[in-house]
Amino acid sequence: MSDHLASTALNALADGELSADQLATANRHLADCPQCTSTALAQSLLKSATARAAQRYAPPPHLQQRLTDLLKEESSRPKTAPTQSQAQPARGLSSLGWVAALAVLLIFASLFFVQRSAQQNSPVNSPLLAEVSDLHIATLAANSPPQVISSDRHTVKPWFQGKIPFSFNLPQNLPADTTLDGANLTYLHNQPTAQLLFSIGKHRVSVFIQQATGTPAADHRLADRSGFHLTEFQTANLDVVAISDVEPARLSSLADIIEQAQTETLPPPN
Amino acid sequence: MALLPWKRAAPTAGPQTSSFEELALPLLPSLYNVAAWLAQNPADAEDLVQETFLKSMRGFDTFEPNTNFKAWIFRILRNTYLTSRSGLAARRTVALEEELEAHDDSGPRLYPEAAIDRQTPELNLLRLSDHAALKAAMENLPAPLLEVILLCDVEEMKYKEIASVLEIPIGTVMSRIARARTTLRRNLQIHAAPARDSSGKGTGK
Repeated sequence: MSDHLASTALNALADGELSADQLATANRHLADCPQCTSTALAQSLLKSATARAAQRYAPPPHLQQRLTDLLKEESSRPKTAPTQSQAQPARGLSSLGWVAALAVLLIFASLFFVQRSAQQNSPVNSPLLAEVSDLHIATLAANSPPQVISSDRHTVKPWFQGKIPFSFNLPQNLPADTTLDGANLTYLHNQPTAQLLFSIGKHRVSVFIQQATGTPAADHRLADRSGFHLTEFQTANLDVVAISDVEPARLSSLADIIEQAQTETLPPPN
Repeated sequence: MALLPWKRAAPTAGPQTSSFEELALPLLPSLYNVAAWLAQNPADAEDLVQETFLKSMRGFDTFEPNTNFKAWIFRILRNTYLTSRSGLAARRTVALEEELEAHDDSGPRLYPEAAIDRQTPELNLLRLSDHAALKAAMENLPAPLLEVILLCDVEEMKYKEIASVLEIPIGTVMSRIARARTTLRRNLQIHAAPARDSSGKGTGK
């Protein structure tokens, strides 16, 4: 006769956790071994008796009502400021600890943001600045050429057909020492974006063009981030932000020319 | 400003919040029963369940839909219990117990399986029908063994689910279940005899 079934195997048998193979092996052994059969039976009896005996405590009727009320109250509360419920008994010391920890966190978070916005002293929002400058830096760092390489505006503009849900104009005449290098299709905040690449002398410029969101904005806001200058403007159809390490005046004049190009001959409406 | 609204694409509120009650409230009897066993005190059990509901509702965003909600909320109940007063007290006493058991596992088995497990089914049947004795035997189980038995036998969870609730490997679940049942049987032997004696005295009076 094979070895007796191990304690874990007998338990797994009672709990219905044996695989088909293990079950077949166990059954073969049980057929020849009254001792293990009796133990297996005892295990099953113990399991069912425990299940019955352990169903002992029923929730008091008021608890369900209290929880339902609490959940309603909680779900109507704004998620950003979870506070301890009024109905919570005072003895939940650990819950108070959580609230205190949350409050401290909130204070630190708000202090952080206040400090950051004070430092920036700029109306341009920092998450966008970060994303724009990251994209620009990534483009500078990458050795790969632009997705479309051309200084010809009649090559660069048509390349975007079918790639972006809007159209834009490129200026006919660029400022002195400024050349169009090419363009990339990229994404900013999950929106398809045209990234136009210019050079002003040795300085590289990225101009990001997105479909307008319809929010009115004051033109030509300037901001600085990580040594880069940013300027942005809005036309009827487009939001545009330009970034470069060139001096702000030259960046602004490029932005002006691009803006004029949009108004001279309006792109066809989408 | 022009570009600001791009970041205003606020995360869409999931439809989950509406279904939290539907998922959680039917589990109230189970959660309360386990909480009452663990806390051994109705007031603490109520607090435990209430805190579990609040925590799980606030964290409901982190629950992945179509995964095991029952295992998820029981894990929260269990973690809440561990940080509660009664849980901390139980952990202090259990640490010792766990050390002893760990020692058992590494060394030669203290009890030959045949000595404890091989009893006649008739004898077990007699004892198992004695609910009071069984409850007393369960009350004497250390918390880690009690919780594994509650999840396995009462909540009928699979070993895999128990492992997820207790955040331990399946192998540990199996050895704890084996240990729990051996201990239960041992406790039952201790409690069953006096219970029968006292009932005999009662009727003879």
